[in-house]
Amino acid sequence: MANKRSAEIPSKSSIHWLMVTLTIIAIPHFFYQPLWVAAIFLLMMGWRLMNSWYGWPLPADKRLLKVLHSVGAILTIVLVLYSYGITIGRDAGVALLTTMAAFKMVEVKNLRDVYLSCFMGFFLVITHFFFNQSIPIVILMLVNVILLTSCLITANESDSSIKHRLKQSTVMVLQAMPLMLLLFVLFPRISGPIWGLPNDAMDIPDSLPDSMTLGEVPPQNSAVTGMADNITIGNISQLIQSDAIAFRVRFDNNQFPERQDLYWRGPVLWHTDGKRWLPLTDNQKRYENGTKIHVAGEPFSYSMTLEPHDRRWLFALDFPTDYPQTMRTRLSVDGELNSSDAIKQRTQYQLSSHTEYLFNPQNDPYLQYGLNLPEDRHPRSLQLARSLLEKSPTDQSYIEAVLNYYRQQDFSYSLTPPALRGDTIDQFLFESREGFCEHYAASFTVLMRAAGIPARIVTGYQGGEINPVDQVLTVRQRDAHAWTEVWLPQQGWIRIDPTAAVSSERVDFGIRDLLPAERRSPAAIAKNDRLVELWQSAKNNWDALNSAWEMWVVSYGPDRQLQLLEKLGMHQPDWEKMIRWLAIGIVLIFGWIAWTTLKLKNLPQDRVQRFYQKFCFKLARHGVVRQPHEGPEDFSRRAQLALPHHQQQIAMISYCYMHLRYRGEALEDDFIESVKNFRPHR
Amino acid sequence: MTQGSTERILHAINSVILGKQQPVKLALACLLARGHLLIEDLPGVGKTTLAHTLATTLGLRFQRVQFTSDMLPADILGVSIYDPEKHQFSFHRGPIFTQLLLADEINRASPRTQSALLEAMEEQQVTIEGDSHPLEDPFFVIATQNPAHQVGTFPLPESQLDRFLMRIQIGYPDKQAERALLTGEDRRQMLRQLQAEITPPQLIQLQQAASKISLSDALIDYVQALLAYTRNSGQFYNGLSPRAGLGLIQAARAWAMINGRDFVIPEDVQAIFPSIVQHRLQAREHLQSADWAAEILQQVAIP
Repeated sequence: MANKRSAEIPSKSSIHWLMVTLTIIAIPHFFYQPLWVAAIFLLMMGWRLMNSWYGWPLPADKRLLKVLHSVGAILTIVLVLYSYGITIGRDAGVALLTTMAAFKMVEVKNLRDVYLSCFMGFFLVITHFFFNQSIPIVILMLVNVILLTSCLITANESDSSIKHRLKQSTVMVLQAMPLMLLLFVLFPRISGPIWGLPNDAMDIPDSLPDSMTLGEVPPQNSAVTGMADNITIGNISQLIQSDAIAFRVRFDNNQFPERQDLYWRGPVLWHTDGKRWLPLTDNQKRYENGTKIHVAGEPFSYSMTLEPHDRRWLFALDFPTDYPQTMRTRLSVDGELNSSDAIKQRTQYQLSSHTEYLFNPQNDPYLQYGLNLPEDRHPRSLQLARSLLEKSPTDQSYIEAVLNYYRQQDFSYSLTPPALRGDTIDQFLFESREGFCEHYAASFTVLMRAAGIPARIVTGYQGGEINPVDQVLTVRQRDAHAWTEVWLPQQGWIRIDPTAAVSSERVDFGIRDLLPAERRSPAAIAKNDRLVELWQSAKNNWDALNSAWEMWVVSYGPDRQLQLLEKLGMHQPDWEKMIRWLAIGIVLIFGWIAWTTLKLKNLPQDRVQRFYQKFCFKLARHGVVRQPHEGPEDFSRRAQLALPHHQQQIAMISYCYMHLRYRGEALEDDFIESVKNFRPHR
Repeated sequence: MTQGSTERILHAINSVILGKQQPVKLALACLLARGHLLIEDLPGVGKTTLAHTLATTLGLRFQRVQFTSDMLPADILGVSIYDPEKHQFSFHRGPIFTQLLLADEINRASPRTQSALLEAMEEQQVTIEGDSHPLEDPFFVIATQNPAHQVGTFPLPESQLDRFLMRIQIGYPDKQAERALLTGEDRRQMLRQLQAEITPPQLIQLQQAASKISLSDALIDYVQALLAYTRNSGQFYNGLSPRAGLGLIQAARAWAMINGRDFVIPEDVQAIFPSIVQHRLQAREHLQSADWAAEILQQVAIP
């Protein structure tokens, strides 16, 4: 029976519907993939369309089909190799799948082929997730799944209207939702490459570099604007151009630190040759307990959702005092939080930080690095340091004097400072006097070291935006910042932000307010306050939705799963328990579905009705299906035509049924007996 | 007796009205269910002939009134005239005092005249100057109506359409029937020769028999499901009234009787359903063109 059905020829309309669906599914891929994928796809669809409109021949002959198969397969593989150099992996795999689905369309002959194409379609839908995990894509995928389901419906019931089939498939997809949710929540998550997305699934966005070079203005359109291995001084100002999210923070109990305490610590830079600033080398860097932190006040605890940046460091609110052990996280002696592997996927971790602390107040192993200056560089800066030092009795007063120098001289904060040549520090301090946080941090550090005060540059982010909707603080690349830490006896490393001396708004209000209005909202509405407000609130809501989505859905990994299950009351969840609950849940869901379906069908209480349904069921197995609105007499007539050699039996049973049900009399036992004995065959 | 006589009646009518078994059967069912009938169709498809044939075969006295726009209620109901000899008013009965009234082109008359007729139909009597004059029993109205878009018509308001149990269409005959019609005898001649198959008392008996056709709970469930669908689906401006529900049951019973059954099955309801609901329901815009009565039947499962 099943074989017979799958060999049936599908209707034209169902094939057209399938083609429409597959095209809708494939179109987003065209943007990621080389042109030939779209070309082959549309060519094959066009061929099939020409076949059904103008009767163009399809490869019907078996031998021709085989030749076409081989040519198509070889061609595709060659093209994939040409484009990607490999036939596996995300991009190459999706390109292969897309073209194969297109080739399959040309040879769809029977229902089995339609099913196959639909299942390939389902695979193609999944692949969208490899490229993008945002909410709009998921909605698109859901629509695609509904369309594909409607294709399966159409293949079996081609006379239904588009509206009807879409309605039916939507209902079916919605019915599958509880099961989907259950599997999503309970299916044991395993961390690792098998279950994770392919490595190239996440596009690594901009991020902080781990060193910086003063003086060179980087090429304007460099691919990675951010904290790379070698960075010039313009790099952070380039990051300002980027609205990409660096990380999101959710503070427990909505306890937010003060705005001016929102310093997010990243790489610490020590070594300089007068231009470039570099972190400690791997040999120098140590992680053992060389750090002594004295804290005051209550810690802030918060969870970070870090966007992938392909580096090992993790950002933390200055200064992290408790950090997760699970990711093999280590805190270096200079206060860098590092993961053991580069962050290639969106990562979540829980931290605690104190904003009032003393960092290594007695001694620090790296003090001598914090005094190094390149020989014979920055002569004018050193001279300035000497003259200021003469007027300052203490380290504190010297620091104050340097900050005053920035304030009193004509320094200005600029996102587009002029290029510096020659001795960059001297140039900045005495000529251009226009710069960005990097300029200030670097020159300040040099002036400190010149006076014998150990100093280092800390890079990271400052500020962030709190979304009033969900209280999530979002830190974007444009919040990138660099500041200085100096070491004073008994006080340890103190954060000093020379940029704040020049432009206190940078720290007090965040970078957003320094940006021109067009960058805060679309230019078209920037002039209308009411619209700007509306735009802002819409944006806040959307951001909140996105961060919830990312927190609860996209980054729902093993840790999150355990957390959630424990919250839901599962004691010490492990995969065995999950499987057990999964099984129970599945049984419950199917039980519920079965129960409601039976209830909907109103499983008759009385015997007559039950046996009549049995009779209908027996006929249904032979292709004579009673429609819900079909009366017994009409159905009997139809069944008699379909199964002529059972004419009498069908007439008899229907006759008895009509009398029993609609007249309230007749021989019930006879009726039941004859239904029992009714064994139709074709 | 019942089945034999309905068969004979149908046979007699179908010998005059060719190729229209279904409308004829519906018309008979309507009368057996004590309902008034509205026939809506183009001129010349045999509306009057059908009414006349029904009257003759059922042995009923027949009056025909051609409605016009200048017609007054008195032209139908009758009028009180002062008799100078007796020094009193005497009532002169109008054409409504008959057993079967054919109200031809009812929508050509003014609303005032229409409503006078429809009131009399509802109350089974004519009241003029305080005197009530009961109408005859049996009393039927077969009204014909031109499609509303024709010029010079006053469409019947919904509340008055409700007085008609059924509204049927006759439609063009099929090719074969039309050929027989064109080559055959003159219809008027045939009508004159037509014999009554039953007498009015027998007709009343038939009506009583129809009202006793048994109706199971399962079937009432079905009728209620249909009524509920028209009210809840949102496809219509108003759902069916309880009166329409009663009409469905009466007509289904008559239909079952005509089909020789003494109980109603869902198919009976389905057969008469469109003719009973189509003039009572107003589909929302998007359903206007479709055959939505059949669609309702498709949507409602038989319990």
